[in-house]
Amino acid sequence: MNKISARQLLFFLACVAPVGKIVLLPARLADTSKNDLLFPLLAAYLLQAAAVFCTLLVAKRGMSFAELLENTFGRVVSKILLTVFALFLLFAGLLPVLEQKVMVQSVFYDTLPSLVAFAPYFLFAVYVLSKPLASHGRVWDILAPLAIFGLAGILVLSAASADFSALAPVGAAGQKGFFEGTMSAMAWFFDAALLLPLLGKFDYEKGLAWKGTLCYLAGGAAVLLFTAIFWGIFQETAPNQLFAFTVTSRYFPGVTTLGRIDYLFIFALALVMAFYVTLPLQGSIECALEAYGRPRYLPTLLAIGVTAVFLTLDVLLDYRFTEVLDGVTKWAFWVMPLFSVVIPPLLLLLRRRRRAV
Amino acid sequence: MGSSLYSMPMRLRMTRAERADAPIGFGRQSTSRRGAKELSYTRMTLNYLIPPYPAFMSVRIKAGRGRHTPIMKNVSADLERSKEALKKMLPADDFLTFEFASPKLSFCVLFADPLTDKDLLGEQVIRPLRQYTGAPRAEEVLKALSSPEAKTEKSLEKLAEEVLIGNPVVLFSDMDMGVVVGTKKIPVRAIAEPPTDVTLKGPREGFIEDFKTNTALIRRRLKTGELKIDTTDVGRRSSTTVAVCYLEGTAPKATVEAVKQKLQGIDIDIIPDSSYLTHFLASRPYSLVKQVGTTEKPDIFCAKLAEGRVGLIVDGSPIALTVPYLLIEDFQSSEDYFVPPYRATFTRLLRLFALLVAIYLPAFYVSAQLFKLQLFPVKLLLTIAGSIRDIPFSPSLEMLLVLLVLEVLNEASIRMPKYVGMALSVVGALVLGETAVSAGFVSTPAIIIIAFSGIGLYAVPNLIEQTSVLRLAMLLVAGSVGTYGVLLATAFVILYLVTTENFSAPLVAPFSPLRGRDLRDSLIKYNLGSLEMRPQTLKSPNRRRLS
Repeated sequence: MNKISARQLLFFLACVAPVGKIVLLPARLADTSKNDLLFPLLAAYLLQAAAVFCTLLVAKRGMSFAELLENTFGRVVSKILLTVFALFLLFAGLLPVLEQKVMVQSVFYDTLPSLVAFAPYFLFAVYVLSKPLASHGRVWDILAPLAIFGLAGILVLSAASADFSALAPVGAAGQKGFFEGTMSAMAWFFDAALLLPLLGKFDYEKGLAWKGTLCYLAGGAAVLLFTAIFWGIFQETAPNQLFAFTVTSRYFPGVTTLGRIDYLFIFALALVMAFYVTLPLQGSIECALEAYGRPRYLPTLLAIGVTAVFLTLDVLLDYRFTEVLDGVTKWAFWVMPLFSVVIPPLLLLLRRRRRAV
Repeated sequence: MGSSLYSMPMRLRMTRAERADAPIGFGRQSTSRRGAKELSYTRMTLNYLIPPYPAFMSVRIKAGRGRHTPIMKNVSADLERSKEALKKMLPADDFLTFEFASPKLSFCVLFADPLTDKDLLGEQVIRPLRQYTGAPRAEEVLKALSSPEAKTEKSLEKLAEEVLIGNPVVLFSDMDMGVVVGTKKIPVRAIAEPPTDVTLKGPREGFIEDFKTNTALIRRRLKTGELKIDTTDVGRRSSTTVAVCYLEGTAPKATVEAVKQKLQGIDIDIIPDSSYLTHFLASRPYSLVKQVGTTEKPDIFCAKLAEGRVGLIVDGSPIALTVPYLLIEDFQSSEDYFVPPYRATFTRLLRLFALLVAIYLPAFYVSAQLFKLQLFPVKLLLTIAGSIRDIPFSPSLEMLLVLLVLEVLNEASIRMPKYVGMALSVVGALVLGETAVSAGFVSTPAIIIIAFSGIGLYAVPNLIEQTSVLRLAMLLVAGSVGTYGVLLATAFVILYLVTTENFSAPLVAPFSPLRGRDLRDSLIKYNLGSLEMRPQTLKSPNRRRLS
């Protein structure tokens, strides 16, 4: 259980990672890029796929993220860099957690106050975060079929209601729409950065970089298809349809007679999301542990500490999700690409040979 | 060293050097956790030489615990002194003595009345000794006896131990040696079909409480010298015989050693049933999750041994244990292997479906009513609305009450004498069910849901203890935080299950970690011809089982 297998990593890239991109992102893209929403999404995916490829190439060296940094920059600088990276992952985790909270509040409940509805998540988070990062590998084995079941179910139930001709004419949103869309989309793309704390916890197998990238792109294809269906169904009203994966399948004819059977798929995806959302937080804890060692109680203390921080933010930002979303996508739009697109290729330039101790 | 020691044939005693080399607790002096010095001798199994081995071929000693304080240590040539010493060590009324004489010698037989076959004792021991005219020498006396299970012993303490397990002891005048004869007779019930594992097709034999019968049932199915049955005694007062069964070369040595090590670490007064051992064998002893496999059927037990597992037979218990345990085992039944694979696959999926419905249906019903009415189709919603209109309780309380009634009925029906069962059914079905609905205490949908859930739980009978608690937990979560709470509880369970390992085998294998080949006999059942390899998860050194 101390290692993640290559297969588990591929499951994550192909099945778990796409789930985080079908909640608010489609509506956000519909807002910025209208019927051209697929292009910024594709651009973000390609950039991130390249970063994933670089990260997996770095994994070939068999060193952990901390070892990589220490090997080139020395202990003190590597500690600082790891701390910065841990803070970045906390920042990266903010939007998914709040997004999850808003989704839960509106999809799973009609009447309950939001804070109570989402509070159990933090209990769950403490438990997940206190487990070793590598235990996620086994979880991905279970989540992969669940994600496929959920996503395939939603796509099948939704596809018939979509008018794909609504995606034409191509380029109507112009360059501005494309760049704005790409900029917004980048807030949801930090998968390469999530892989960095996993370095050294999986063994590089031959062709893993290519396989990983292709798996990531395969997952991306499913997200693109879903986004196309989303626009095909809602078109001009799409920006108002938040939590895309919960609304596209409601027009399936069987829903009127059988009830919301699509909730079965929605629940499956929500279950996958619960784990996906904690991954940046766990990555952050892992970076902190790599930087400052692993005394006996530190992992649990960090798990409680990080959860407490997020619980506080959840309370403080209870009615300010729109501001957070705008802040991340409009003002801090450069942060995600810097850490998850620029840094992974730079890691390839780090010293290859282990420095003699 | 360990395995050769256990299979050492036809020898009753170990030398000092052998004892020193033997693993602790299996024939070697050790210091227990509480510091008490203890001696625990392995039963010298004849293994494949005489299947099943005679129980007599064993020496069991518990020394230094202050149970007996012999006046003298060894048998003396003075018959009266030896007899008195032994009687002092065994003062209870059911230990009887019988004195008789031959033309040259006097004898005294000491035996435990309820545990001894007196006819056999008379036939094999007393009759030949009455006619014995030889010298008072142990070898000659043994030759004169008609018993195939006889040995000499000097130590009074060991003789007392033999009497305690049911073997009569003969003392002689003019001979400083006692003779132990294997004529014990422990009352046992007949072999019957186990009530917890009934099958339509396939063997119907079940284990019983008798250790010898159980090992015989195993030997009957595994006629191979590779089958090892290593025994040890567990329990300070009960000295319960526990057999570690495995196929040498098929079961991983590490697992066998780990099981033996865990057994030696047990320091408890009695082991009344095999379920006591599960606590000590589990890596997470306080967990709700089952970590040791159980079966009452020798065919299943042998099939598990053949897959590379290690089995444990506990004297006095009809339930055998197997490790490592995988969760999927409880979704498989022995019948699955006797019916076409399509049918087996269907029934396994059905069991999973029934179990999921049993756990989640009450929870989702309550959370839908409380927090998300959209989950119901409109017509069903109207029906439910009509039936719950006058119910005085909240949906969660109503469901909890009905569930509680079901659990009480269930518990009572198991413990109650059979002739009261009919009355219980009437009270349960008519009074509590129908009348409660017509009185407006509970709604019809709640009764239907709990009834369905109750039936679903029994689709996987070996997991009832766990799933019934899980169902209650899900119901409480659903009643307090709704569907998302249930999802998070499920996520919690998933993470807990995937991180649970026992004897180096992940509990949720072959699903997590995924083992492609092992999936062939998981929820999906392939044809027997396709199951050519043993499960990868069990790490058997001999992977191929079908060539």
